[in-house]
Amino acid sequence: MATINLKMLLESQSLERCPFPIPTGWFFVDYSESLKAGELRNVELFDQEWVLFRTESGKVGLTDPYCPHLGAHIGHGGAVVGEHIRCPFHHWEYDTAGWCKHIPYGKLTPPIVKKQAILRTLPAQERYGLIWAWYHPACEEPSWDLPAIPQLETPGFVEPRRGTWPVNTAIQEIAENGVDFAHLKFLHGAPGIPPAEVNFEDHIIHIDMAGGYIVGKGYGPGLNVFHFTQEGITATMISYTQPITAERSQMNMSFTHAEYPEGSKELVMAKKIVDHMIGQADGEDSAGFESVDFIVWNNKKYRPNPLLCDGDGPILRYREWFKQFYSGQEQLETI
Amino acid sequence: MPDVRVTGRDGQEETLQGGEGRPLMELLRDAGTGVDGTCGGMCSCGTCHVYVANEWIDRLPPRSEDETLMLEALAEVVELRPGSRLSCQIELSEALQGLAVEVAPDA
Repeated sequence: MATINLKMLLESQSLERCPFPIPTGWFFVDYSESLKAGELRNVELFDQEWVLFRTESGKVGLTDPYCPHLGAHIGHGGAVVGEHIRCPFHHWEYDTAGWCKHIPYGKLTPPIVKKQAILRTLPAQERYGLIWAWYHPACEEPSWDLPAIPQLETPGFVEPRRGTWPVNTAIQEIAENGVDFAHLKFLHGAPGIPPAEVNFEDHIIHIDMAGGYIVGKGYGPGLNVFHFTQEGITATMISYTQPITAERSQMNMSFTHAEYPEGSKELVMAKKIVDHMIGQADGEDSAGFESVDFIVWNNKKYRPNPLLCDGDGPILRYREWFKQFYSGQEQLETI
Repeated sequence: MPDVRVTGRDGQEETLQGGEGRPLMELLRDAGTGVDGTCGGMCSCGTCHVYVANEWIDRLPPRSEDETLMLEALAEVVELRPGSRLSCQIELSEALQGLAVEVAPDA
């Protein structure tokens, strides 16, 4: 009799739900309109707390909370002063790049203050009405730019509808469903496993599903832009999931489409496509992510050595591609 | 135990003993010479500036970049000399027996 493969049977005991580091990339922080000039607040992101602020002239900053001087939490009692954020403890001031610009006492400036930023801040920018920050575990500068998204940056498109959902898993796990075509039939109830094409190019993943029904790109772990086309009408979804902690993410999405006259057939169709992306739309036989994906994400464990069969999507190529975002930790056996 | 010959800001000379394995800054600070050593050896405060006697300059390990930059910042407020050093960067050892330094003026 053949000996049984015990690893197969027992491995799940030692598996983790989310063995991944926080990935590198551009990530959504907050909506531009919800941060006023002179405002400052604490946000949880990338497995730690940060202080988000907007200077009087409108520049956004996202900094580590703890003052390099004596460790006070700048987000508790600190203030925006002109173009700087000021620590409450001794009024040391920093610009949005983390350079110390003012120490209101002391005749000598510590040399490192002139040499480099001393407060960790993340490169930040505003695009599509959203605030973005670049996360890299070793504070490296951005290695790619956010793409142009005409549907969100040019006139002729409706004000985006937005949604946000907390998920108890990591981004790699969420995005893996994008290349798991078989689950669309069984979990979502699609009529069949849709044909799909996936290509990987640097930090970008291209997906073309069901012969042009869903076409889009992922730009690193923090931004996906997908176009859904039915009967000649296209709706655009951008998803911008945030890694809150290693095991907790916040999914965020904006949906838009071209402006169509009120009461037109085109408008009805465009709205239906958007409804279908999210949940269940009338007359559709498959379910959007909201109604079915969470139960899996919130309870699964990650198998670094999954048992795949023919008919599964390019899961392993996706994972190999995703490793580039674990800067310096690509060799972890658990991922 | 190394002896260090110290000239104070008032011009008075004294000999300090001990401190082997510790920075010269601590010996001077604890002896009440006016050296503060506020930053504890980070080269960020400039309060432990001394002038090392000429014959000792080449017998000390060279200045690090951080020390050099702090001394450059000090130059804006006090006199710098070839023997200018941050005493927090000089570790006392038998090899420095007889080291002679003058405490530099307050910034």
